[in-house]
Amino acid sequence: MNGTHLRRLLRVARREYLERVRSKAFMVATVLGPLILGGMMIVPALAARKAAAPLRVSVLDADGMLLGPVERALGSLTEGGTPRFLLRPAPQAPFEQARHELREQVLRGDLDGFLYLPPGALAASQAEFHGRSVSAMMEMRLLERALAEAFMRVRLTREGLDPARLGALMRDVDVRTMRLSTEGAREDHGAGFLFSTVLLFAIYTSVFMWGQALMNSVIEEKANRVVEVMVSSVSPETLLGGKLLGVGAAGLTQLMAWAATVGLVGLYVGGSAVAGGARVPEVGGFVLVAFVAFFLLGFFLYGSFYAAVGAAVNSMQEAQNLILPLMLPVIMAMMFFPVVLRSPDSTLSVVLSLIPLMAPLIMFLRISVLMPPLWQVALSIALTLLAIAGVVWTAARIYRVGILMYGKRPTFPEIVRWVRQS
Amino acid sequence: MSKTFGTHRAVRALSLEVPRGAVFGLLGPNGAGKTTTLRMVMNVLGPDSGAIEILGRPSDQGGRDRVGYMPEERGLYPRMAVEEQLVYLAELKGTPRAEAQRRVGPWLERLGLSDWRQRKLNELSKGMQQKAQFIATVLHEPDVLILDEPMSGLDPVGADLMRDILLDLSRQGRTLVLSSHQMETVERLCDAIALIDRGQKLLDGTVAEVKRRYGKNTVVLAYEGDGSFLTKVAGVERLSDFGQYVEVRLTADADPQVLLREAVARLRVSRFEIVEPSLRDIFVAQVTGHGQEAA
Repeated sequence: MNGTHLRRLLRVARREYLERVRSKAFMVATVLGPLILGGMMIVPALAARKAAAPLRVSVLDADGMLLGPVERALGSLTEGGTPRFLLRPAPQAPFEQARHELREQVLRGDLDGFLYLPPGALAASQAEFHGRSVSAMMEMRLLERALAEAFMRVRLTREGLDPARLGALMRDVDVRTMRLSTEGAREDHGAGFLFSTVLLFAIYTSVFMWGQALMNSVIEEKANRVVEVMVSSVSPETLLGGKLLGVGAAGLTQLMAWAATVGLVGLYVGGSAVAGGARVPEVGGFVLVAFVAFFLLGFFLYGSFYAAVGAAVNSMQEAQNLILPLMLPVIMAMMFFPVVLRSPDSTLSVVLSLIPLMAPLIMFLRISVLMPPLWQVALSIALTLLAIAGVVWTAARIYRVGILMYGKRPTFPEIVRWVRQS
Repeated sequence: MSKTFGTHRAVRALSLEVPRGAVFGLLGPNGAGKTTTLRMVMNVLGPDSGAIEILGRPSDQGGRDRVGYMPEERGLYPRMAVEEQLVYLAELKGTPRAEAQRRVGPWLERLGLSDWRQRKLNELSKGMQQKAQFIATVLHEPDVLILDEPMSGLDPVGADLMRDILLDLSRQGRTLVLSSHQMETVERLCDAIALIDRGQKLLDGTVAEVKRRYGKNTVVLAYEGDGSFLTKVAGVERLSDFGQYVEVRLTADADPQVLLREAVARLRVSRFEIVEPSLRDIFVAQVTGHGQEAA
């Protein structure tokens, strides 16, 4: 490609870019996107904070010997410095009457629930929780843990162990998940996992949103008949190249705007509870570079297909049937994504990440979860680039014939003939 | 050159030569292959066989940059501002941006679009869009202009303006190729023509040559009364009724005086003139004749 062609390709790209970023739809999506994404991050954080209001409970012990240890165990449970349970003394009354009174308190809303330890609770390892809402799983599990610990203490004390030593003996095991990389181990709060998924879906939706935008623009150019003026000035290949570049740049701009906004919101919400107690994930610079690179690879690959489809048809409706087969590899990639997420190093994951039609999604996912060997990344990119070259070449031929074809939608064999003939 | 679409032979071994600096009319009925021919010149379509030269060089990008092409199917970007769009299209033809921006003002002025320069194209009327399309064709100051049906969609005032501009461009030494089936337009503007039908050339040459070749035995006759008998008068080959008058074509050896005598005997004749045949008449005669041969 000589200088003239390149200059004109960039002119076309500039126009396509400006038309897109100046449109109202772009502005709206660029502003609303982060709001929605941000909302998805902030709302659970706020919800988690609200749920953190401690539960008011009483303990009713039929045998009397468990009350102390259970109350101590419940009282020691804290989250972010605030206790999870506020203990209210049970009414000083005969047993059945006290139970009745507690039930009344719960129903009135003065109490969130009470723990009932029936006679022989220790031997049977049984307890009942009476509350208006028994669906809060988190609280139930905490409660179970506290009870198990209290029961254990009592039993061990009865076996003759020194109560003072029990604290040290029964210390919790703190399991932390560590993310290994060549730069050394770092603690990962599980948000990395979530973030990988979010980024994967961002690539997935962006590639298709912008591929669709490219297709629409080809169809519109055809419908407005402006395409004949265009191809009398620039070659169809230059026009296609310019459109790919311009629309791709617009897509990238939007992603960058989103990333910046989400980043700022993340900073603002701070290291405090983002998405239920998880920290703002640490994302390596390499993952961000990979994110941009694989978005562009995916867009050029699928965008060329979309452009070719746009050139072959007369309207959006006609395009739908031709697009469906294009979506299959992507749908497959999305089906495999949990498997790859779980074992990013398995043979299956490696193979999938090398297949060009899936590579932009799967290889990126692998990089974001567990950095694969560099040669695999390089091979995946090389294969995808090769596929892009082939697709662009084919698409340019379909494009050249298709943009001037009006009337009946071509059949698939007809499109194949276009590719062979032109 | 030739071009076949499937089984339809749109252009068959057509050879055309447009003299440099001429105003050349490419004539033919609908479906004759005019648009296909022009598209091949502009490389919008590739010919199946044959070659195209522009200004003495093979038709490549550089050659096509010196051509301004207004397709039959007009089309510009509907949501792009007029001025911005015109500058963009000139840039794609190799005109530097600043140069295009300087030139666009006078053109908008001349075609009465100055007030609309910042508007989006789809806010303009059809006629104004047509004018914008014309500016897009000439803004890069091409040496050759190829205009497919240049007058269609213009009102009489617009058509006159267009004709003045075309004559101006011709006087500047530019070559104009007009495709049309509107004979009156072509007759008044063109120095040379080619008539094609079903992808083949029927005749070509300068307008004067073509008319001379066709012979000077056409009579314009205006009258009052029932002239239906005129077709049966000896020596009358064909008669075209224009409402106000009829154009009568006589056989080569016929004497116009015979026709005059017959007419005066039965009608009130207000005009009788021996004229050169109109291009329209030649067009109709040739195309009808060609159709019969082919059938």
